[in-house]
Amino acid sequence: MLRSVKGFICRPLKLDHGYALHMAAKDCFSSVVSQDVQTPAEKPRAIFYTNESDPIKTFQEACVMVRKPALELFTYLKNSNFAHPVVRYVIYGERGTGKTMTLCHVVHFCARQGWLVLHIPDAHLWVKNCKELMQSSYNKERLDQPLQASFWLRNFRTTNEHFLKEIKTQQKYVWGKRDSTEQGRPLGEVVEQGLTRVKNASDAVGVVLKEIKQQCCLGSFRVLVAVDGVNALWGRTTLKKEDKSPVSPEELTLVYNLRKMVMNNWSGGAVVTTLSQTGSLFKPSSAHLPHELLGKEGFDALDPFVPILVPNYTEREFESCYHYYLHCRWLQHEKARTEDGKEELRFLSGCNPWQLERLSAPL
Amino acid sequence: MQLLFQRWRQQVAAYFSTPAASSREAQQREVSTRRRGRMSQLIRSHIPPRTERMAVDQDWSSVYPTAAAFKPASVPLPIRMGYPVKGGVPPPKEGNLELIKIPNFLHLTPPAIKKHCAALRDFCTEWPSALDGDEKCEQHFPVEIETVDYVSAGTSIRNPKARIVTLRVKLSNLNLDDHAKKKLIKLVGKRYCKDTDVLTIITDRCPLRRQNYDYGIHLLTVLYHESWKTEAWESEKTEEDMEEYIWENSSSQKNALDTLLQIKATENVSNVTKEELLASEVVRNYRNSVIALKNEGETESNMSQYKESVKKLLNIQALP
Repeated sequence: MLRSVKGFICRPLKLDHGYALHMAAKDCFSSVVSQDVQTPAEKPRAIFYTNESDPIKTFQEACVMVRKPALELFTYLKNSNFAHPVVRYVIYGERGTGKTMTLCHVVHFCARQGWLVLHIPDAHLWVKNCKELMQSSYNKERLDQPLQASFWLRNFRTTNEHFLKEIKTQQKYVWGKRDSTEQGRPLGEVVEQGLTRVKNASDAVGVVLKEIKQQCCLGSFRVLVAVDGVNALWGRTTLKKEDKSPVSPEELTLVYNLRKMVMNNWSGGAVVTTLSQTGSLFKPSSAHLPHELLGKEGFDALDPFVPILVPNYTEREFESCYHYYLHCRWLQHEKARTEDGKEELRFLSGCNPWQLERLSAPL
Repeated sequence: MQLLFQRWRQQVAAYFSTPAASSREAQQREVSTRRRGRMSQLIRSHIPPRTERMAVDQDWSSVYPTAAAFKPASVPLPIRMGYPVKGGVPPPKEGNLELIKIPNFLHLTPPAIKKHCAALRDFCTEWPSALDGDEKCEQHFPVEIETVDYVSAGTSIRNPKARIVTLRVKLSNLNLDDHAKKKLIKLVGKRYCKDTDVLTIITDRCPLRRQNYDYGIHLLTVLYHESWKTEAWESEKTEEDMEEYIWENSSSQKNALDTLLQIKATENVSNVTKEELLASEVVRNYRNSVIALKNEGETESNMSQYKESVKKLLNIQALP
């Protein structure tokens, strides 16, 4: 199911400090990114629309507010030395402050610059509610998740089409009795193999990650690994094996490969991750600091990382979000236009972006 | 006393004589006469409660000399207690079962306690004049023994609770080195309070107080000596057993060193040894911030300190 692509309003003049626009949806960004990558030579005022979940449909546009944490990340990424091992950035903050949006903004920025983007929209989806779990053919102790793997491969293919033709495999991979991928074939073939033979999808994901890791050290392209909800990789899962024993994350092929990707033993890119409590398993809702959500294992694995805090809206950000809602006529209530209404919204939401969105929805 | 007696006689006389002293009583009697007719002689009107005749500076300990239930007519306070009626207030004290059910300390007001102390003074000895401060008491008598004696009106003077002995000692007064202190804390478990550094041992397993006291002292001695010994299996202490985070030989140190070595390798700076790296300023900084983060938990200042140290370690510039 290809997402129908229509357009995306991109106002670079306004995408800096002064005037900021706000977006609410979280789960459709890979398609937005795909737009940018597909037309890299587009003029700055290119117009795209996406047909995704509610606010985007209603607004007919997807806009991101430019905030300090994102700008900070941009400076780091611009100034990073790609010969050094990758730097890990962990975006953390309380619920609803905009961590996922910051991640999406960074993904967009890197895609615009022509990086290869490995975007995992929500790592929590890989550790819970998986319908089909199969024993991995490559390693008897691990478990495969064909559905999630094929879903991710499809998105990966849409977002990084032209890279798939350029990168070549460096060794031969044997999928079964009759299928194999020779050395030197483009990576697109591996992805196709994973999509056609869904049984091998998780292994295909592993191969893709391994190849990218090996080859980006050479410096021909840059890689951004963007994982949302990275604390899922080191927590517990709700999955059970056939004998009802619980599955730990490292027994899942996808998680195992992703953990290797997030290590800093390669160079030539960056790893930007967010911690997310919503969707996390067995964690209290007040937990938002890195240690609480990652646990000891996760913290030690990611250490040393650069933590980036995303706070609630500042005065200015709140003002711009409010004006955007008014501008799009999202706030229909008469009283919402008054100063009192604005103060009331500010008080009720506590300048929390998520709360503000929920409050303005029925207005 | 005479006055009280005379007043009481007046009250009793008022019951049995027709003309009433106050108009309110007259009204009440009128009403009761009208309502009940012949029964009026049998109905007694209420005498005002004792609270209305209490002076403000009366001797309260004679009103409540012992622990007693709450008597609304004897307590001159306008107390209300209970769940309020809808749109109303909690019920008043008259006939309020809630107030009677709960324990009260009306017999233990400060003046009453002063009187108790004055009475007990004859049975006490003088406090030693040399011990005029808490620090001196602690310095000379680091181990505090607490026992409770129970007195009750009954057939027997024995009370099984009297055999309980509580021993309290501050660990700073004991001669313990680092290993011994950690081992002692692990041995005693919940009996040690980290905030006040006090070890509390409560013994009640023997039938007599003296036996419990001896047992408590014996326990303290045994703990002290055992914590100084080092067993063979203590060398197998793992990271999970550690009370605080030690950076040396941790995965954090390993990661940091690996990263730095890789960075140096890319810059073609060879012959940089681990010791040099460990001794360098950035690594020291990083080490301190990680230790602070793990031991003290995560706070804003800790996280920003960690961030700065990581930025310096990995050489990330923030300026655009």
